[in-house]
Amino acid sequence: MIELRQLAKKFGKRIAVADLTLAVPRGEIFGLLGHNGAGKSTTIGMMLGQVWPTSGAVKVCGHDVTIERARALRKVGAIFEAPAFYDYLSGWRNLEILSHYTAPTSRQRIREVVDWVGLTGRELSTVRTYSHGMRARLALAQALLPQPELLILDEPGSGLDPEGIAEMRQTILRLHRELGLTILLSSHLLSEVEQLCSRIAVLNQGQKVFDGKIADVKAARGRVALKTADFGAAASLLSEQGLISGQEGEKFITLRDGVTTVDVTRVLVTAGIPVEGIWSHEQTLEDFYLDLVKAPSPVAKNN
Amino acid sequence: MLLAQLKNELWKLFGKKRTYIGFAMLLLAENGVCFALYKTHFSFQKRLLEGNGFSMEPYASALTTALIVLSPIAPLLLPLYVALIGGDLVAKEAEDGTLRMILCRPISRVRLLVTKWLAGAVFSVALVIALGVFGILCARIWFPWGSLFFWSPEDQIFTMFDATTGLGRYAAAMLLMLAEAFSIMGVAFMFSCFNVKPAAATILALSVMLIDFICYHIPYFQDYQPWFLTYHMRVWVWALEEHVSWWKIWQSLSILVGFNFTFLVVGCTAFQVRDIKS
Repeated sequence: MIELRQLAKKFGKRIAVADLTLAVPRGEIFGLLGHNGAGKSTTIGMMLGQVWPTSGAVKVCGHDVTIERARALRKVGAIFEAPAFYDYLSGWRNLEILSHYTAPTSRQRIREVVDWVGLTGRELSTVRTYSHGMRARLALAQALLPQPELLILDEPGSGLDPEGIAEMRQTILRLHRELGLTILLSSHLLSEVEQLCSRIAVLNQGQKVFDGKIADVKAARGRVALKTADFGAAASLLSEQGLISGQEGEKFITLRDGVTTVDVTRVLVTAGIPVEGIWSHEQTLEDFYLDLVKAPSPVAKNN
Repeated sequence: MLLAQLKNELWKLFGKKRTYIGFAMLLLAENGVCFALYKTHFSFQKRLLEGNGFSMEPYASALTTALIVLSPIAPLLLPLYVALIGGDLVAKEAEDGTLRMILCRPISRVRLLVTKWLAGAVFSVALVIALGVFGILCARIWFPWGSLFFWSPEDQIFTMFDATTGLGRYAAAMLLMLAEAFSIMGVAFMFSCFNVKPAAATILALSVMLIDFICYHIPYFQDYQPWFLTYHMRVWVWALEEHVSWWKIWQSLSILVGFNFTFLVVGCTAFQVRDIKS
């Protein structure tokens, strides 16, 4: 659905995105993660033909955005952080205006979408009277009007309260389930991404540092919690025996490939170190993300 | 489709209160000047006409007053309000973030700009019509209907028409004033396409016009007057000459069309290469 090949963007001397290759398959909810200034919005801007790439190629729905922008975006909806509207006009008029930039849209279609997002009854009020949540619904409505196959969400939860975030999460799942949309979700909210996305890519200082399935992230690197009277001695012994590749603090060890918790327990008990508890520890996305972004990237060094 | 998009641009434009500032101020200004002329009994014009052997009485009319009012308003107030709107057309949308919402749609940037330029042109037409109609209406409140006397020392025009011919010439002048309004709107629109704030686009456009106007009025540049934009923008005044020089008018209109096309192309090019970011 989206294909980025060796994409790069420089603003003057500053590298915003470097050598980014990424594919978002049809039907996925794909998460794009990264801290502020990591290059997420610039990447989305290039996908939508708003930012010109310095080099590389961007294909959306099979069409090169820089060459065939109109074709590429015909079936694309987008929502940005803090969506902007013509506040002095009604929600309905805003939808009419924005939808006409894609194709003539019938009143019936606008009515359907207004109902779908739950704005019925307030669509004729001016947007300046809308709450933050209603603006988010209006933003969703304008994105759904062209009957998109791909929805690009750039920080859609920004500024929402916990209730609003939960509603947004349900809406995204509903869009995926009922309308079968491919969704690209750029977000800071790691827990949301973890609950919603099947695949993620992590950007750090303009470079992709990870691209894979969420399931792989959770099961990554054989992280095991070990509870014993002398953690230091246990870790030293396991390391000498070549069973672990590392330790974290006084609680976690990382098993080498092929080593199981049974092997570890056997070695420790044989050596007279009592094992009070040992269990596989599923890594959270937050742990994984923080580990990734701690490592300095080559781009950062260049800067 | 283009018509639907133009209609939407007009909704956006005329839905804003600030769009009406120009209309309101023109009405106030024209009525204020008419009242001042009524109170001073045309003393200057009277001396001028009587000094040339004419009687002021038939020419102390609504038409004469309307043109006296227009003479300063056309080069001073009209550019201000047209530039205000022209400078807003793209830059305000970029500043508010709505431009990003538009540009995630499959509309080309050039098409978007052409639609916006057309909306600006519709506004210019509306403002010039308002200027002309308000002028006549305000003048008619204070003065009777009658013949037209027009004097413009700068253009060496000293003419008198009966009421019917005068009204025709007044209408022709208003029609030609559109060229002035389009040109100022075009300059402001061009600056609006660059990555600047709306106020900066308006100020830049007015600065260009003022610099051009100042140079045009420096005696040293008298031989180069046809090179100045503001010289051609005075085309509306030439409709009030006793014998209208159509060749001169068409020449100026052609030059203004060329200028406007250039402004649009420069604006489109600047906008096309721009990155649109939040």
